[in-house]
Amino acid sequence: MLYYVARRVAAAGLMLIALSVLMFGLLRMTPGDPVSAYIDPAAPMTEADVAALRHRLGLDRSLPVQYLAWAEAAIHGDLGYSTQHERAPVRALVAERAGPTLLLMGSGLLLATIGGLCFGIISAVRANTLLDVVLASLSALGISAPVFLVALIGLFVFAVRLGWAPAGGIAAPGVPLTPGDVLAHLVLPASVFAITQMTMTMRFMRGALLEALGQDYVRTARAKGVAEVSVILKHALRNALLPVVTLVGASLGAAVGGAIFIESVFNWPGMGLLLVNAVEARDYPLIMGAALVIGACVLIVNLLTDLLYAAIDPRIALR
Amino acid sequence: MFILTRRDSMALAIGIGIAATAGRASAQPSRNVLVGGFDVGPGGYPGNFNPLAATAGFQWLNLYYDTLVLYDGKLETIQGSLAQRVEPNADKTAYTFHLLPDVTWHDGQPFTSADVAFTIELAKDSRSGSIFASRLGDIARVTTPDPLTAVFELSKPSGALLDIITKLMMLPKHALESLPRDGLDRNPWWVKTPIGTGPFSFVRYETDQFVELKANPAYRKGKPKLDGVINRYFKNSANAVDALRAGEIQFSYVEADEARSFQGNQAFRIVPGNSWVMNYIGFNHATSFWADVRVRRAVMQAINRQALVTSILKGAAELSNSVYIAAPVTPADLDPYPYDPAKARQLLQDAGWDKINGSKPLAWLTYYNTPLVENLMAAMQAMLAEVGIHVVPRLVDVATYNGIVYARPPDLAQFPLVYAGAQNGPEPGAINMYINESQIPPNGANIMRIQDAALNTALNAALGEPDDAKRIAGFQDVARVFNRDLPWAPLWVGTRYGIIASDVANFVWTPAPSGGGYDQQAERWAFAA
Repeated sequence: MLYYVARRVAAAGLMLIALSVLMFGLLRMTPGDPVSAYIDPAAPMTEADVAALRHRLGLDRSLPVQYLAWAEAAIHGDLGYSTQHERAPVRALVAERAGPTLLLMGSGLLLATIGGLCFGIISAVRANTLLDVVLASLSALGISAPVFLVALIGLFVFAVRLGWAPAGGIAAPGVPLTPGDVLAHLVLPASVFAITQMTMTMRFMRGALLEALGQDYVRTARAKGVAEVSVILKHALRNALLPVVTLVGASLGAAVGGAIFIESVFNWPGMGLLLVNAVEARDYPLIMGAALVIGACVLIVNLLTDLLYAAIDPRIALR
Repeated sequence: MFILTRRDSMALAIGIGIAATAGRASAQPSRNVLVGGFDVGPGGYPGNFNPLAATAGFQWLNLYYDTLVLYDGKLETIQGSLAQRVEPNADKTAYTFHLLPDVTWHDGQPFTSADVAFTIELAKDSRSGSIFASRLGDIARVTTPDPLTAVFELSKPSGALLDIITKLMMLPKHALESLPRDGLDRNPWWVKTPIGTGPFSFVRYETDQFVELKANPAYRKGKPKLDGVINRYFKNSANAVDALRAGEIQFSYVEADEARSFQGNQAFRIVPGNSWVMNYIGFNHATSFWADVRVRRAVMQAINRQALVTSILKGAAELSNSVYIAAPVTPADLDPYPYDPAKARQLLQDAGWDKINGSKPLAWLTYYNTPLVENLMAAMQAMLAEVGIHVVPRLVDVATYNGIVYARPPDLAQFPLVYAGAQNGPEPGAINMYINESQIPPNGANIMRIQDAALNTALNAALGEPDDAKRIAGFQDVARVFNRDLPWAPLWVGTRYGIIASDVANFVWTPAPSGGGYDQQAERWAFAA
């Protein structure tokens, strides 16, 4: 087990290096740079000012020098300074945004997993009934609706029309921060975030549980007179959970993508919004730093998912 | 006795949570604090707190910093702000600023001419992150004969100095002098403890969420009527519109089509204004396509500008036949280039367009990445195709656009044609950096490589003229030459819109270029009783 973890950590390190090289190269191939994003085309700056700005940001150095300087600092934990945000340290900005993203993704995923498991179980147990058809139809709708569209509709209906939720942000400005206020701001984006994930989880849960319910050991348990609830929850469900765990683990990467949309629509001050703003501003250090941290998180979650397999299914041995 | 089971307790807790959440969407700031999207739209610059590094966002910065002079609320005349009087000498090589007495910084220290001299020196030092360095290059030195007088001595006459000064916020010498110049732009002072002399003082910044200001009781015009002002950040104006409709904010810039959706809504007022940005079709003169003026005139006459303004822009623009539309510098004798596709076809035929380019498609680049502009460009694409000019619109973001047009060497095939905007006022000299031959990159922003001797002569004469009346006449000449030679095809100057809640009184707003600087009279803003 230890050898397995060490090997995965080493591989993750190499993948992060590759990711940083790839990100650096792609960013430099993208038209524009932090200075060109800074200039208002309707009120441009003089060349002297542009040159001074480029020098101050270190963009007048060769690309290998720029990358090596970044990599050397990154190894020591210094991810550089944002070229926007008053040139704040990237590490501080990323750390500041990790919390809101974890809160949004965590609550969204929790909601999605609990809801997905419950509805999946109901759908499997009541397979081919009207309830199953309704749930299957809703899940198809949830999967096929783009997350940004769901977010915009949710915002318009629940915030603008009904006034049940705030129209964005993490807390009301100008008043003391309270958990209740954060919760009020969290409900709508977390629910929107949960919809797609929930429907996916539900469909996987339904399929896996139906398959498990058809297995010999379930038939045996029923034949022995075990109560149906116990058959489902103790015998079938545990075996059906494996593909669902895989899905939840694998969906974390996609969840980051979803978080970017949701944070943009709801102005939620997390990593997604930070990254979107950084891309628009061609804020190289911030894009690199945020992508590196997100990449590291996805790798860690993947590793934890693999470790969880072994915990759920003792037949799986990690070597 | 009534006993709750564990399941009942959980259901009750969830119910209370949902009820509490639904019943009160969110806590709101005090009634006497105005919340707005002050950095929404083209005049905003969210996340920037350093006025020396600001390319926009002056409306917000002007709430806690202050300038020596400001435009009035209609951007027509420049008036005193921290300076009660400005006296230029006869040839405009020296400006004497007489400062208001008894002005204090937010920390109580007096504002003096030493602060003025310090600000100019700091703004001219690019190590501080200032982008004013070259703009203030004509200021040779600043002398301070007494604490309430500052004299700017220039190396050459400048009629545009005061326009630049309307955007130069005064900074406190006593607070910034001891900070290291290198890296000053990333000093936490700007986002933690900035002080100015404006009507409001800084309270806090929640990253990418909002900035909070509170009333300055010692403000020189008296304590503001509001207790505070909050600037909420939004990803785009559509999000700000949602917050307006939800009653969470009281002001924001909005797009023209969004503004129309507020018509008839008694809860809001729509405030239109001249954008001072002329939209044009830019001809890349480094290519061979546009050398013949008849081709450029054909483009003008092939496009039914009035129809586009009426049908797509819904009247939210004024046609422009030259670089200006403002009254004093726009002569009445300009050719209006009416829509005439037959004449356009004839002009192209006379110029030999078949041999110049014929039906080959030309890339048409723009940074206006909006559905509205996409529709405008599609309509113009069809009109141009009618006369035999085939263009392919390409909408990109600002960084990509700048990366293409400022590339060295430029890839001309990527932008033989652009749809763009240029600031054409309120200072008419602002147009110089786009169209004067001396401003071809790397010297300036003449990205379309215009080389028109008559235009250069007219511009240089107007810019160097110290007499105000002759200066205006000089810019009228610029407009005439531009109208005759058409280095660009001028289209229109758009109207921009702000939405303000009806219960906010005395709110002064105009869509000034870069957001300012004009006299907002923020100390008078108030909620109606």
